Amino acid sequence: MMDYVNNLPAMDLMRSEKMMFAQLIIPVESAHRAVSYLGQLGLLQFRDLNDDKSPFQRTFVNQVKRCAEMSRKLRFFKDQIQKAGLLPSSLPSSQPDFELEELETRLSDHEHELIEMNANSEKLQQTYNELLEFKMVLQKAGDFLISGGSSATQETELEENVFINSDYADAGSLLEQEMQHGTSHQSGVKFISGIICKSNIMRFERMLFRTTRGNMFFNQARTDDHIVDPATNEMVEKTVFVVFFSGEQSRKKILKICEAFGANCYPIPEDLTKRRQITGEVLSRLSELETTLEAGLRHRDAALNSIGFHLTKWIIMVKREKAIYDTLNMLNFDVTKKCLVGEGWCPVFAKDKIQEALQRATFDSNSQVGIIFHVMDSTELPPTYFRTNDFTNPCQEIVDAYGVAKYQEANPAVYAIVTFPFLFAVMFGDWGHGICLLLGALYLIAREKRFSSQKLGSFMEMLFGGRYVLLLMSLFSVYCGFIYNEFFSVPFHIFGPSAYRCRDATCSDARSVGLIKYRATYPFGVDPSWRGSRSELPFLNSLKMKMSILFGVAQMNLGIILSYFNARYFNNPLDIKYQFIPQMIFLNCLFGYLSLLIIIKWCTGSQADLYHVMIYMFLSPFENLGENKLFWGQSVLQVILLLLAMIAVPWMLFPKPFILKRRHTEIPRPHLWSSWNFRCVQ
Amino acid sequence: MGFLVTTLIFVVVGIIASLCTRICFNRGPSTNLLHLTLVITATVCCWMMWAIVYLSQMRPLIVPILNETE
Repeated sequence: MMDYVNNLPAMDLMRSEKMMFAQLIIPVESAHRAVSYLGQLGLLQFRDLNDDKSPFQRTFVNQVKRCAEMSRKLRFFKDQIQKAGLLPSSLPSSQPDFELEELETRLSDHEHELIEMNANSEKLQQTYNELLEFKMVLQKAGDFLISGGSSATQETELEENVFINSDYADAGSLLEQEMQHGTSHQSGVKFISGIICKSNIMRFERMLFRTTRGNMFFNQARTDDHIVDPATNEMVEKTVFVVFFSGEQSRKKILKICEAFGANCYPIPEDLTKRRQITGEVLSRLSELETTLEAGLRHRDAALNSIGFHLTKWIIMVKREKAIYDTLNMLNFDVTKKCLVGEGWCPVFAKDKIQEALQRATFDSNSQVGIIFHVMDSTELPPTYFRTNDFTNPCQEIVDAYGVAKYQEANPAVYAIVTFPFLFAVMFGDWGHGICLLLGALYLIAREKRFSSQKLGSFMEMLFGGRYVLLLMSLFSVYCGFIYNEFFSVPFHIFGPSAYRCRDATCSDARSVGLIKYRATYPFGVDPSWRGSRSELPFLNSLKMKMSILFGVAQMNLGIILSYFNARYFNNPLDIKYQFIPQMIFLNCLFGYLSLLIIIKWCTGSQADLYHVMIYMFLSPFENLGENKLFWGQSVLQVILLLLAMIAVPWMLFPKPFILKRRHTEIPRPHLWSSWNFRCVQ
Repeated sequence: MGFLVTTLIFVVVGIIASLCTRICFNRGPSTNLLHLTLVITATVCCWMMWAIVYLSQMRPLIVPILNETE
């Protein structure tokens, strides 16, 4: 029997792949290509030989900087495309791969172009805004001035007129009086017209009133359209105002206040015809600018589109180049400065593939010297590598999250492929919900090809990666649903009639004493009579707790037995004698015994209290069991098991460390001893 | 149907499943061993689940007591 077991072939995923330590000597001209092909193969892990150097002391630091600069430009493009609201599309690339220098120049050209276009359109937008404001001022302020523009014959006594802010009722006549003399070189009334944000206008007016001591007349009108504020890029409502004042001092003050409040002042001519002329000019210029702006936007969108076609490809290329240069930085120049020396781990089965990739690199780069690849010995522990496929990969990742196995240790993922979905199903346990989960998993598997080429969100990616685990989970959930007899929490009588019925025909005491079991046990799963009864929870809780104990003890035993196989594989009798055996004894004497008691209690239907039995096994082992006795000889057995468990603990903990220490000090290791001594003295 | 009979049914189903896996997914001796391990693990898990639920209902200590409202 043991011979048969020993002669079985090694199971696929059980132990990590055999690794070998290799040294590569690469001539400089084929270095870049060699690393690129090796990277595509993905089966060699380089060791960093330049560990002690800072990133700026490494050989290829300039190239890495260039790659970083290029990826910054690519990020800028991506931002711009997103801001412009264009969808990134990818042209199926039939073009050949670009060289790195060519890509660099192209990227900097595109960047210059884009920045220029953005600056131009900003300037245009600003001019457009100003003209728009000017047009509004012309329209609205013109309304204030229009009444006074025609009558040129009225005389005024200007020095007598004191213009008060509150006197709106006389607004028309005042304006009429002063309008003909509104030129600036006369000491008459002047005005300033402009536009300001609606939110600031109250404070503005108050400030003007205070500084001119009331010697001004303020008129305002709200605009109908909103204008884009260039600073915040939002639409704000603006108000047109006209301030009438006299005197040069007031003018200066008012101008300063306008500047402080961010009001834009636009001089408008009082003459109506001139105003109309200017309005016409402004309108035509506005429409010109609109077309120019639109053309500029279209041009920019076209440029962004053309970039967007290649963007993903370029991003991948730049990432790949950066990875290649990072790897090249791990290699060392040898004495002659003509070759790069690298060391790394690779699995044994990959040796041919690696050599073939290296030969291809030599051929493609037209190098005279071939790349040398030879196996070396190493003292350190090789890395762990498992060859997984789509089906086993998620389970391996889940197990690795708890801890990566050491080199060639037994891999728990082999069992986790089944036990992880199974334990999920024990908790899920409903065949209606299980069928929904099954349909979801089947959908993901059916659309495999489509989903694997798309870019998914992080949650969908997780779901899609684990689609086979989901499938197993759903199948086991359906099974457990049948066992718990729950279809969306409703039980069914699928496997025959229930085993319980009323004690008599009238069912009078069904609500006090309960039903009675009159037939053989319900053949598959939980009896449907339990659902909805008052004693459902005590029964199900007890059942599920005992189920967890039994599953848990079984799984722990599996783990310890795997450690036995590990000890046998690594030829470690110390582990077997002083770890495996006492662990098995300790586990099974206590928890294995509990599992046995559970099964016996179920089979005999005894009323024994297992809590009581287990606790008093420790507290008073020699006491009489009384009604908790499950089988003959139980007290003697309990005492024996207790003694065995107590012996197993020091057996597990003490001998192994002392033996290891003795082994360590016995082996003559002079250089190690002296360095250890030196550190101690320090 | 009895405990032993159903246990035998589980054993038979397990053997049939391993044979089917060997026929449909034959990919070399080491991979076949992996498949066999998976099938046996699944069969043992499912059998344990069924057996625990069956044994616990064989000689019940409490019986269903119907609700007042029914």
